[in-house]
Amino acid sequence: MAYPFTEDHDMIREAVRGWAQAWYDGGKGPERVYQSGTGFDLEAWQALSGELGMAGVAIKEEYGGAGLGDLGRVVVMEELGASLCSVPFQMAGGICTDILQKLGTASGKSMYLPRIASGQICPTYVEGLDAFSIKESSLSGVVSMNAYGNAASHFLISFQRDKKVSLGVVMAANPNIEVEQQKTLDPTRSLAKITFNNLSLDDVKVIGTTDRGRLQDIVDQSFIALAAECVGGAQKCLDITLEYAGQREQFDRPIASFQAYKHRCADMFIALEEARSATYAAAIARPDDKTEAALIAKVVAADAYFKIAGDAIQLHGGIGFTWEYPLHFFFKRARANRSIFGSTSRGYNKIADRIFGNAA
Amino acid sequence: MSGLIDKFDTWMAENFCGEFESLRGRATPGDEDIMPELRFAWERKMGEAGWVGVGWPKEHGGKGASLEELVAFNEVYARHGGPGRNGHIGETLFAPTLIAYGTDAQKAKYLPGIKNGTELWCQGYSEPNAGSDLSNIKTKARLDGDEWVVDGQKIWTSLAMDADYVFVIARAEEGTVGRHGLVFLLMKLDQAGIDIRPIKQISETAEFNEVFFDSARCHKDDMIGGVGDGWKIAMALLGFERGASTLGQQMTFTNEFESIVKLAKENGAAHDPTIRQRIAKAYCGLKVMRMTALRTLEAAHHGELSREGYMSKIYWATWHRDLGELAMDVMGPDAELLKDGEYGMLHKLFLFSRSDTIYGGTNQIQRNIIAERALGMPKEPRGKPK
Ligand SMILES: Cc1cc2nc3c(=O)[nH]c(=O)nc-3n(C[C@H](O)[C@H](O)[C@H](O)COP(=O)(O)OP(=O)(O)OC[C@H]3O[C@@H](n4cnc5c(N)ncnc54)[C@H](O)[C@@H]3O)c2cc1C
Repeated sequence: MAYPFTEDHDMIREAVRGWAQAWYDGGKGPERVYQSGTGFDLEAWQALSGELGMAGVAIKEEYGGAGLGDLGRVVVMEELGASLCSVPFQMAGGICTDILQKLGTASGKSMYLPRIASGQICPTYVEGLDAFSIKESSLSGVVSMNAYGNAASHFLISFQRDKKVSLGVVMAANPNIEVEQQKTLDPTRSLAKITFNNLSLDDVKVIGTTDRGRLQDIVDQSFIALAAECVGGAQKCLDITLEYAGQREQFDRPIASFQAYKHRCADMFIALEEARSATYAAAIARPDDKTEAALIAKVVAADAYFKIAGDAIQLHGGIGFTWEYPLHFFFKRARANRSIFGSTSRGYNKIADRIFGNAA
Repeated sequence: MSGLIDKFDTWMAENFCGEFESLRGRATPGDEDIMPELRFAWERKMGEAGWVGVGWPKEHGGKGASLEELVAFNEVYARHGGPGRNGHIGETLFAPTLIAYGTDAQKAKYLPGIKNGTELWCQGYSEPNAGSDLSNIKTKARLDGDEWVVDGQKIWTSLAMDADYVFVIARAEEGTVGRHGLVFLLMKLDQAGIDIRPIKQISETAEFNEVFFDSARCHKDDMIGGVGDGWKIAMALLGFERGASTLGQQMTFTNEFESIVKLAKENGAAHDPTIRQRIAKAYCGLKVMRMTALRTLEAAHHGELSREGYMSKIYWATWHRDLGELAMDVMGPDAELLKDGEYGMLHKLFLFSRSDTIYGGTNQIQRNIIAERALGMPKEPRGKPK
């Protein structure tokens, strides 16, 4: 049990780790997702949200969740990251859970949170503040990159109406919604194009209203989970590299004994622990500090993951460059994490804005 | 927070004023040679009021402050602009080592001087031929009746010019090499056999020194542990260096960072997108360091050595060196002018931070340590001893 975790966290870590690594199976898991062409693994999601009961790890107990908050979610995401297990957890159990819990009305919460926790429904979040237009109570617009949109049973949408931001839930199966899976550089994460075609607002169950700034804060805070995914993936890349380095010999000695090699590994470790500290700090930050801590966690962890995954390929030599060896999946995930859910340069800019006091 | 911290806050407000005002935010590394008399006075004032050694156990005259309290203590100190403490080597490095390994008599003899802020210590480890390879110590100690007699040379000894005592590692057993046969001795600096010569640094100041030992003496009871234990104790002391003492430094870093932000706002550098990104990155690093320290200290609190502890030194050192470079870039061309012929605080930061990645184990040595101890990679080969 290491700070800042408790025994409860350790227990779920053990359960999820064993399960996720069995799924990973030396790279067979991600390869299967690639082969399936769907960008996610439905069976794995059913197991994680059903048997393992992890979809509601951060949902409060009164709504049927485990009540383990950001830290609990960090544990699950680290293990998902370390296995590249492609499931819509970060959507349903992450961003949608947070929007409902932090901005939802009482009825919105009790209507959806228990069903997310039990794995009955799987919403993804579609931000439509600028993408949607509303004409005579029907909503239209296109969102080109919705993570796990093709896995969603519902969409939690945000849209601007009469100066206010409304939050609502709509069934994914609505005939006025079209979901089109995209082909992606990172083959283990699904991104879908979602088209809303004169969706009647009567079909949208409003679960809250808010303003842009507040919504953006909550969305940014939910990216602590993504930072944790980076930490898990980066740790795995380092582990894979250290194992290889101990076995592979050149010049009649293990490559792990060359100082240039050791120092590169040390730098990977530093970046990894840096990301870990930033992520854990954000998970335990007080509400007032959380947005900033989450922005920091996201940029630091995404930078670290990308560097470490790239270094891991370099330190493997030719084999690291093959499709058969699983490192490329991590490398592509790391790449994706730098630009989706808020890019790294946007993150640094937002942090700078806060420092210089000209935040929007 | 706790009553202890509130009391300290009040005490600082009431006592860090008047003549001490001129020390506000000063005496950080690179600036440690300033106003020595006033700084001794400040150290004594802290000591008299019981604010030295608050983290030591109560039975040794400390206040048994918890980890959270120590963090808060250092934050309060920095918030009031408290100056760099010339007693820190004694308080945060030597005293914990003494408490862990010293005899009751040694504790009774040396702890009060540290606690009262009347006796300052320095660290006599490095020698001309024992830097990164510290185990290559050549300074000799031989027993002459009731006394150890020491001959040899130490170098880069910080603050020796101001200190009362030095703890020295020396080779006591003739013919031993490496980590064997070493002793850890406590020696008074003011004696005929010791000669201290300041070395001028990159910053034009002289905070470190050469220390020559020519039949210098200490009582045989002034040895911590036994003959042959020197290495173990020297290393234990370095372990404390990684611990709580980084917390105070954290706040110094925060103050430095804020002064750079302030300057960037004043001189317009804040509008330069590259500078903004670098400042944002530096800010992230500051937050990361705080959390890493907490993780390490929490583990230490439960008697564990956590792996991330190995990255603290190289992380803060590199961060701080980068901050120095950033400071100069924020100053822009003005960085080239010494106003009134004096180095500004940011010049000092820039110049002195070049040493952060050298002392206390260079960045290269830190990477070796991480690779070997945190990651379990093969050890570096050694040459044959000459
Ligand atoms: C400002 C300052 C204050 C100091 N204060 C004190 C003090 O109070 N007390 C004290 O005892 N000492 C003190 N030191 C000394 C400090 O600990 C040493 O300078 C440091 O350990 C490096 O030793 P060295 O200078 O002999 O360099 P060397 O060990 O000769 O190193 C030279 C270069 O070689 C590299 N190198 C060495 N070995 C390896 C290796 N195995 N692998 C890869 N690269 C290697 C180093 O990284 C460095 O870049 C201080 C130093 C400074 C700069």
